[in-house]
Amino acid sequence: MATLTRRQFLGQAGAVAAAAGLGACATTAGDIGPKSGRRVVVVGGGWAGATAAKYVRLIDPSIEVVLLEPNPRFVSCPFSNLVLSGVRGLGSLTFRYDGLRNHGVTLRHEPALAIDPAARRVRVEAGSIEYDRLIVAPGVDFQLEQVQGMAEHQDKVMHAWKAGPQTVQLARELQAMADGGVVVMSVPLPAYRCPPGPYERACQIAWYLKQAKPRSKLIVLDSNPNVISKTGLFRAAFRMYPNLEYRPSSKVVKVDPGVREVTTELGERVKYDVVNVIPPQRAGAIAVQADLVGADRRWCEVDHVTYESAKHKGVHVVGDATIGLPVPKSGTIANSMGKICANAVVQLLNGRPAPPVPPVNTCYSWVSDSEVMAVVNAYKIENGKVVQVEQKLTPGHSALYAQHAVGWADSIWADILA
Amino acid sequence: MTRRIGRRLIAAAALVLATAVTGATASAAELKGPGYEKAMLCSACHGFNGASRSDAVPVLAGMPAWYFKKAMEDYAAGRRVSPEMEPFSKEVRLLGVDALANFFAALTREASPVRADRAAAERGRAGSAKCAVCHGPEGLGDAAKRVPPLAGQPPGYLRNQMLLFKADKRSPGDPALKQLKAVMQEFSEAQLADLAQYYSSLR
Repeated sequence: MATLTRRQFLGQAGAVAAAAGLGACATTAGDIGPKSGRRVVVVGGGWAGATAAKYVRLIDPSIEVVLLEPNPRFVSCPFSNLVLSGVRGLGSLTFRYDGLRNHGVTLRHEPALAIDPAARRVRVEAGSIEYDRLIVAPGVDFQLEQVQGMAEHQDKVMHAWKAGPQTVQLARELQAMADGGVVVMSVPLPAYRCPPGPYERACQIAWYLKQAKPRSKLIVLDSNPNVISKTGLFRAAFRMYPNLEYRPSSKVVKVDPGVREVTTELGERVKYDVVNVIPPQRAGAIAVQADLVGADRRWCEVDHVTYESAKHKGVHVVGDATIGLPVPKSGTIANSMGKICANAVVQLLNGRPAPPVPPVNTCYSWVSDSEVMAVVNAYKIENGKVVQVEQKLTPGHSALYAQHAVGWADSIWADILA
Repeated sequence: MTRRIGRRLIAAAALVLATAVTGATASAAELKGPGYEKAMLCSACHGFNGASRSDAVPVLAGMPAWYFKKAMEDYAAGRRVSPEMEPFSKEVRLLGVDALANFFAALTREASPVRADRAAAERGRAGSAKCAVCHGPEGLGDAAKRVPPLAGQPPGYLRNQMLLFKADKRSPGDPALKQLKAVMQEFSEAQLADLAQYYSSLR
């Protein structure tokens, strides 16, 4: 990709600002806080970005780190399906960013509006921030246009696929539904954030209905021909819930909140009282605007050792926005990528090669209020590429793995933020 | 039941309280020493610099290198059964087990922040004479006899391991552990939980 002209850079900024509802303000502005030493800017303070920001400081405190994150608080997507069943409150998944400040990370609660890799600058509302290396962790955004009716009814059709207000609203809708009501949820085709997440959600909703609304049922409309993660384990867990009707190869293409109905690709119409559409996804908007996505216009290809973008030098991409590694879009992987990329960036800034370090993955799924199962993946680096060494599943779900899951969550939240 | 869940749900919805994450990581914390770039992968579950915060996950900070390596061998071979650690032990082997073992061994031993139940720990102390024969009066183990330290490990982890020994599910048939497993048979599950609290409380 050729370098951006100044006009393109500003145009990009305007487009993102407009998309973010800020109004286009493509005025020229100078550098904010000119750099005195080496500086890493991190775009996005989720699982990958917050980890990367913290670990750059842990590995080399002489490097300045600026983290751009619009949200004032970190809300964990992992465990947020438990909010739908009332097992946990969103407050228990919401954390301050203070820990990162204690590590010397400069937090700016605002979005990155554009990236200029040639000038090594990120544009924010008040001007530009210069960097030596940039780490982009934009997470996912939704391809609302893929489901007719979704874009214009975002207040009535919850995705609840970014933990926060939508999660709380969907929980309220489930709670307000009369006993005997029908809940419909949809599962997109891969790649999407958290492959087992929709099936965990199905178990949580079914568990809640079983306790609180015994005459209600849940219909799961899956775009895929079968459960795509922990297949056998989820199919076994579904048997605990006679109120859960699983329909494979049923891709939702339309939602109509006026008549409370979804339509599948095959033309089947399904009535609902509460709906949850998990739309198809792509890398967060800034990755698309900054031309970090590949030919698919959805995801970002990266080097498997440094996480440097395949498209722009000096720009690294981590977390759910990446593609091409044999890894799920999971929280543990995002955390691994954040650390490995942070170390690579520090080494490169110090004129040393980045060591080849593979990620790790653990992914726990709650199938009831108290039972969990897991998938674990180990990797190695071979010829500069991440390769899976082994995948292991728990033999089933149990309270013991729930204990492990809680331990994992407490540890990894601290690893990201404390 | 319905009403109880309803109330919890309302609480969940209404209460968007920010919880501060506090951890073992001090503000001046640094990640350094040979092997840190590999060992840092473990912190997702085992805590920063191996200082586990979790009841079920062992502390690695200060773990003797010989015991770390034995644990990796046992997990990889299936002598210790763990869906989590079996794949990771193989990844650790490929990364170079010595680098990780030496990294954690070089760190100051950290006690688990999971607070011990004082009464249970006192009962455990009173019943610990047989454990102390091998693990020492302070639970620090004996490297020469390949006896690992127990002091400061999380109580849930210690209890889970003792239950596995008692049921002969950890290293089944290992002659070196025959005596240990015979001792486990003399304790009830409640007594093992007390012992776990006691050894966890030692510093």
